[in-house]
Amino acid sequence: MELIEHPPILHIPAIPDHILYTWIVMAILVVVSFVATRRVSLVPTGSQNFMELVLDQFVKELDETIGHEGRRYLPLIATLGLFILASNLMGLVPGLVAPTANLNTTAACALIVFITYHVIGVRKQGFIAYMKHFAGPVPAVLKPLMFVIEIISHCARPLSLSLRLFGNMMAGHILLAIFFFMMGFDGMLGWALSGSLGGIVVGAPAAVIMVVFVVGFLLPLKILVAFIQTFIFCKLAMLYIAAAVEEAEHH
Amino acid sequence: MQRILTVSVMAILAAPGMAWAADAAGSSDMAKAFAVLAAGLGFGLAAGLCGLGQGRAAGSAVDAMARQPGAIARIQTAMLLGLAFIESLVLFVFVIAVILLFVKS
Repeated sequence: MELIEHPPILHIPAIPDHILYTWIVMAILVVVSFVATRRVSLVPTGSQNFMELVLDQFVKELDETIGHEGRRYLPLIATLGLFILASNLMGLVPGLVAPTANLNTTAACALIVFITYHVIGVRKQGFIAYMKHFAGPVPAVLKPLMFVIEIISHCARPLSLSLRLFGNMMAGHILLAIFFFMMGFDGMLGWALSGSLGGIVVGAPAAVIMVVFVVGFLLPLKILVAFIQTFIFCKLAMLYIAAAVEEAEHH
Repeated sequence: MQRILTVSVMAILAAPGMAWAADAAGSSDMAKAFAVLAAGLGFGLAAGLCGLGQGRAAGSAVDAMARQPGAIARIQTAMLLGLAFIESLVLFVFVIAVILLFVKS
C-alpha cells in the first residue's frame, strides 16, 4: 500500500496520523461551534443558521426514532454524527487523512455507543430487569439459550458498527488511491508523456477518461457514502438506545 | 455440465496445493499466492452475492414507494438501514481481504 499511497501533507513523527487528524477535526468542530454560539440570536444568521439547520436534522431523527424523550440524547448523537461526518469529508481532500479510515477511531466511537446504551438501559430499568430482557419472550426452558444468543448478538453490534464505517472509508480510500496511481505519472499520464505511439493513442485518452470518471463519478459517490455512513451510524446508535429505553415502558 | 465444472474448479484449486506439498522451499511464496487467490475469490463472491441481495432490497423498496408515495421517507430510511446491514457483511470480507493482502505473516 505504501507503493501507491502518498504520505499525508501534515505529519508529525511519533504521533500516528489518525490521531493527529482527529485533533484537527476536533479543532475544526470546536471553532465552528464557538463561532456559531458566540452571539446567539433569536433570528439566526450565518454560522448559527448553519449549525441550527444541521442540529435540526438530528433532532428530527431523534424524535422519530426514540420518541418524546429522545432529545436527552442529542449531545451524544450529534457529537458522534458531526465528528464522523467531518472525518469522512476530510478523507475526500487529497493529502489529508480520514480519521475514520482507521479501525481504532471507529472502534472507539462504537464502544462509546455500546457502553452508553447499556448504561442507559440499566439506569432506566435496573440491573435485574435489564438482564431479564436478554432472555426475551420465550418459554422458560429456552431462556438460557436465548440469553447466550442475545449476549453474542449484542457483542456483535460494536463490531459491525465499527467495521462498517471503517470498511467503507478504507475501501473508498484505496479505490481513489489506485485510480490516482493509474492516472498519474507512473500510469497512463506517464505513458502518454513518454512519447511512444501506444502512449499517445491509448494512454492519453485513457488518462482523460479516468479523470472524468474520478471527478464525475467516484468523488460524488464518496461524498454520498460519507453522508450515508454518518446517517447509518447515528441511526443505529439511536435504535440501540431506543431498544434499551423503550422496553421500560412495556413492563 | 455442472459436475464437470465442479471437478475442474476443484482440480484447479488443488493443483497448487500439490505443488506446494512437493516444494517446501517456496512455501512463503505459495502462501502469498493463496492469500491473493483467496482475497480475490472471496471478495468477488461477496460482492456478487451482495449485489443480488441489495438488488432485491432496492427493488422491493422502489416497488413500495411507487405504491405508497406518502411513505417514501420512512421506506427510504428502512431501505438504507437494510442496505447497510447487507453491505457490512461484504465489508467484513473486505477487511479480511485487506489483512490477507497487506499484512505480512
